[in-house]
Amino acid sequence: MSREEIRIGVYVCHCGLNIAGSVDCEEVAEFASTLPHVVLARDYRYTCSDQGQELIKNDIREYRLNRVVVASCSPRLHEPTFRKACEEAGLNKYLFEMANIREQCSWVHLHDRRAATEKAKDLVKMAVAKAALLKPASDIEVPVIRKALVIGGGVAGIQAALDLADTGYKVYLVEREPSIGGMMARLDKTFPTMDCSICILAPKMSDVGRHPNIELLTNSEVIDVKGYIGNFRVKVLKKPRYVKKDCSACGECSKVCPMTAPNEFDAGLALRHAIYTPFAQAVPSTYIVDMNLCLNKDGVIVCDRCIKACERQAIDFTMKPEAVELEVGTIIVATGADVFDPSTLPQYGYGKYPNVITSLEFERLINAGGPSGGRLIRPSDMKVPRRVAFIQCVGSRSNKTGRTYCSNVCCMNTIKDSLLIKEHWPETEIYVFYVDIRAYGKGFEDLYKRAKKEGVIFIRGLPAEIIEDKKTRNLWLIGENTLLKEPYKMEFDMVILSVGLEPRKDSEIIQRLLTLSRTQDGFFMEAHPKLRPVDAATGGIFFAGCAESPKDIKDSVTQASAAAARAGILMAKGKVTVEAITPILDVEKCKACGLCAKVCPYNAITLNKELKRVEIVEAACGGCGTCAAECPSDALTQNHFTDEQIIAQIDAVTEYDADKKIVAFCCNWCAYAGADFAGVSRMQYPPSVRIIRTMCSGRVAPKFVERAFARGAAAVLVAGCHPGDCHYINANYHTQRRVERLWKKMEQNGLNKERLQLLWASAAEGERFASKIYEMQKIVESITPEEIERAKKVFSKAGGA
Amino acid sequence: MPERLWRTPLDVEKISRPKAEIYILKDQCKGCGFCIHYCPKKVLEESDEINARGVHPPRVVDEKNCVLCSFCTAVCPDFAIFVKEKQCKDGC
Amino acid sequence: MSAGKPITYREVLAEYPDAEKIKFCFECGICTASCPMAGLLKGEYNPRNVLEKIFLNVEDVLVSDEIWLCAWCYRCYKRCPQALKPPEIFFHAKKFAVETERKQAFENIIQKIVRASPLPLVTILACFHPERAGLGLDRIVKEAEKIRKELLDEEKRAIKAESIKGKVAVIGSGPAGLTVAHDLILKGYEATVFEAMKEPGGMLRKCLPAYRLPRELLDMDIQALKDLGVEIETSVVVGKDVDFSSLRSRYDAVFIGVGAHKGQELRIEGAGLKGVVHALDFLCMFNSEKALNVEDKRVAVIGGGNVAVDSAKTALKCGAKEVTIFYRRSREEMPANPWEVKEAEDEGVKIEFLISPKRILGSGENVSAVEFVRMKLGELDETGRRKPVPIEGSEFVKDADMVILAIGEAPDLSFIPKEIELNEDGTIWVNPLTMETTLKGVFAGGDAVTGPASIVEAIYAGRMAASSIDCYLRSLR
Repeated sequence: MSREEIRIGVYVCHCGLNIAGSVDCEEVAEFASTLPHVVLARDYRYTCSDQGQELIKNDIREYRLNRVVVASCSPRLHEPTFRKACEEAGLNKYLFEMANIREQCSWVHLHDRRAATEKAKDLVKMAVAKAALLKPASDIEVPVIRKALVIGGGVAGIQAALDLADTGYKVYLVEREPSIGGMMARLDKTFPTMDCSICILAPKMSDVGRHPNIELLTNSEVIDVKGYIGNFRVKVLKKPRYVKKDCSACGECSKVCPMTAPNEFDAGLALRHAIYTPFAQAVPSTYIVDMNLCLNKDGVIVCDRCIKACERQAIDFTMKPEAVELEVGTIIVATGADVFDPSTLPQYGYGKYPNVITSLEFERLINAGGPSGGRLIRPSDMKVPRRVAFIQCVGSRSNKTGRTYCSNVCCMNTIKDSLLIKEHWPETEIYVFYVDIRAYGKGFEDLYKRAKKEGVIFIRGLPAEIIEDKKTRNLWLIGENTLLKEPYKMEFDMVILSVGLEPRKDSEIIQRLLTLSRTQDGFFMEAHPKLRPVDAATGGIFFAGCAESPKDIKDSVTQASAAAARAGILMAKGKVTVEAITPILDVEKCKACGLCAKVCPYNAITLNKELKRVEIVEAACGGCGTCAAECPSDALTQNHFTDEQIIAQIDAVTEYDADKKIVAFCCNWCAYAGADFAGVSRMQYPPSVRIIRTMCSGRVAPKFVERAFARGAAAVLVAGCHPGDCHYINANYHTQRRVERLWKKMEQNGLNKERLQLLWASAAEGERFASKIYEMQKIVESITPEEIERAKKVFSKAGGA
Repeated sequence: MPERLWRTPLDVEKISRPKAEIYILKDQCKGCGFCIHYCPKKVLEESDEINARGVHPPRVVDEKNCVLCSFCTAVCPDFAIFVKEKQCKDGC
Repeated sequence: MSAGKPITYREVLAEYPDAEKIKFCFECGICTASCPMAGLLKGEYNPRNVLEKIFLNVEDVLVSDEIWLCAWCYRCYKRCPQALKPPEIFFHAKKFAVETERKQAFENIIQKIVRASPLPLVTILACFHPERAGLGLDRIVKEAEKIRKELLDEEKRAIKAESIKGKVAVIGSGPAGLTVAHDLILKGYEATVFEAMKEPGGMLRKCLPAYRLPRELLDMDIQALKDLGVEIETSVVVGKDVDFSSLRSRYDAVFIGVGAHKGQELRIEGAGLKGVVHALDFLCMFNSEKALNVEDKRVAVIGGGNVAVDSAKTALKCGAKEVTIFYRRSREEMPANPWEVKEAEDEGVKIEFLISPKRILGSGENVSAVEFVRMKLGELDETGRRKPVPIEGSEFVKDADMVILAIGEAPDLSFIPKEIELNEDGTIWVNPLTMETTLKGVFAGGDAVTGPASIVEAIYAGRMAASSIDCYLRSLR
């Protein structure tokens, strides 16, 4: 191969007007044809179309192309498409390279055609320079364990577990609470069909309990996850129930238990004992001891009333927490959401006025199995209210509370609740105070109309405050009817705050354990919002239910089935191919210092001290390349992101006008995706930046930065995921360390260290990326030619060039 | 379920908790204090009086707090304390 | 302005950092419902609408009255789900209007304010701050006086037409009390105002610094009320000179508008040292002849409300060497009006956040320093703000010659009978619709009900109480 003549074909895509609208594609193609090794350069309207792909395939055959460069959208979008086309024409897919001239060029420089075209040329030049050095490789195949882990036993987790188990895979369902069922088990009815929530959920719950393929781990938490797609090793902490499976759920123990506390399941509106079952339909039905409440919490059997009452002798206070190790191939995250705590909005008086309740408390009050036996009563005097108000958007869509999103379910939930009241007590006057009613789903509008027909009154305009009447405990709502432009002051017996949903407080733990990303709202982020809506960016992990965003039961179930299907595909195949981006070791150069083994986040590299050599397990490698960046003797490099390839890209950028350019190294998962997001959102920023993609910011070796400065670059940006969010567990900590060392070096040599910037930006933080480029543009403009020269001198001495 | 639980449960008066009657055989007590120390609800304390054996027997601070676990009976070396459930009608 | 290209909100709000945020308003109406001016002027002012118009049609807004009707109370901001600051957005619009010679609108509103507020000069000066937008005061005062004279004659004629229907006692001669008296007189009742101090005006006279409100203007406003027939009995302390129950029997209805004059105590070591003063006392002394000498002193102000900011500004004006406000939470949680805070900082007041005093140190009986402890913000508390918790080991000592305590004010209600129920914070609970207390025929409003708040809020409360008292007295007949 190495002796073979390199023949590169370049395709500059118009993408309709998406690129051609601000980049002169013909000029770029013409420029490309002048580059070394390029034998063919074309511009084409839609390169990703079938015809476009056919064109590439024909050209490969006809012009004997052995490298292909497509300048179009982000490789995150269409790299797989073009790689496949190359393969179909007999070209190894690793001999394909992409230049991102849409998300990172035409869309972010909409109003400067000249600069955008020049930048596009640079990006193509970089891609061609890298392409010339590409080497063929083959994907690595990894077996997939045919078992799945589902985290969270709400309706989404239940559905996903059942679907997978029915397909024939072994499923571990881990639930933190004593019973599965989640939020849905606590609701009275469901919209828009008004089905009884627990009646439709309970059969599914018992299916889970009975299913031979499902191992249910309740009262348990995932505490550690290791491994990679197809091969996860998960540690689950099973907390003791202190009641054995022999329990017949007769409840005699509970009757004699002297200790009581508010029942969490009933939102604290009813009491439970220290030994209890959270609700009648709980699965498993085995009782549980709340050890914080039990008199025996200090390890001495002080009280044995329950033990005596249990005919089956199922109570066992000697149970200990137990860590279970599981091996699974796929993981479904269905951890759900929390409800907003309205006591942080003092103007609504929740927590102070007894008759201000949340929608969740309402569900328990209207539920026939709930603490009031289905009588909607005012907590202050246990009377049925005659005038009821609902307040919408409590906690949602607000900058103040930091929850800027719409919680999706509250509008319909309120409509459903209002109809429930009307059904039982038709004389009740019901007012709904809202800003927008979002009845967008199937059957939703009908339900909304039905509520109106039943006489529920909808008033546009949220109350500014609630004041309680000291004598009657009634509530005054003060606000503006914004349609009539008239103030209102109305008295109600009871107010229901329609509280929004928020990310679970422990999302951070799951995020860290599974190396996931989250959006600005705090919910987990999917791999692609349209085309991979249930996949996590991390391979082998999928989302279901409210963990990904607030959604209703139907959407949760739909997503759960989708996630199960996605996980099923992986397990049905039984193997998965991993990109050949693993490290390559030059044994001659290796001094067996072991630094690479120290930085590897996956323990894929070990130092064999006896044989004085480094051993690499390719299947365990995540592909971050931080080992290659760490190697002091240039013995390690990364497939498809070799030192030569990256340096060729740097050199291409810095060939002309380096002193006006910013060389940016962006990690594929966060910063590069963030820059793409800036493009998709059409955020405009200065055209001086040239982005070089690496899988992880940990791949950025100091010598790359030095090289850029040695060749006169005005500024360098190293950008990666937020610390703790790294796609490769912790590889970006090494980035920080390396950049800090470079800063020190710059300072010691009298260089302005602001020329090297480090940015943490998530895939959703396009704005953060754009504003960083603005900030750096100012630095670029302030740099004097002398400073550029000084840096050149300092860093070429250091061996950068 | 992390919501804040702040309300008085609606059934707080309905759920029956056993009511205790605590019997202390003062003169049988040798003042070891086990019952006072081990009571999980801290229902007992040392009294000022001196019994036939010349020690301070325990005294009930608040009978309502007793949950009838009878641990005091179990640990008493002198069988000097026992608890009976108060039989009451009409859910007293 | 050059014709042709229309002005956009972007130009008008060029200096406002959050200009783009106004697009996020989803018109929930909370601002308007919270706005005392919208209440006072009924349909004539709607801040939500003004905000919308600034975005859609800013040229019309610049020449309309409405941007001038904001009284800077920030009630809207405190509740806005989007955290918009209408007072500041309107301020930039006002400034733009003045700079581009569109002042006419402001002059138009003088008429409106004179009709809406029984204390028009006070309201214009202390609430609307025309000077912030660069307008001179002399002409405004003259204009307002002219309008008031016309109005007074008109009103007097109107009263004579009605016969006397009942007698009302008003306790406290602050803005709330005076509004009640004014309104009731107009409705044909007899109203007597009882004031504990030597001169009427309540907090306006006692604590509002004279540089913010020249006293002769306050006197002019009060004189006009007297001319209308409001009787004010000064130096009468209810509960001492006259019994509350006797007021109830002598009058058909009673209104309590005693304000919040009782400074909260700081329960730490050294709070009794010489040089530790309550903010209200400090401001009061400044306004009387016995002003405290702060010249060349280092002053530490404890607290984060408007009173703290006013005290700090006043201390600085009196020649203090260094004035620092110490607040135990962060800037976001500060209850003082953001604009006042900004002005104070511009004038040279330093503000230190997340700091709480631990003890006050003295040399002899005088204050010499304060030991502070740094705080961090913990979980949210019941007021919806994050609770400050001390960081152990972060104590430090700062020299100070004077400590001004402004850690909250509550009403002094020792004279009222226990049938009148109070809120948890020691203010009077009233029915929000009728302003009636839990005792029949007794009404209340102003700071005594809300805790420390703004002048327009008190006036609005007085207005609501007056119309409710009217209804009540009619129902008796």
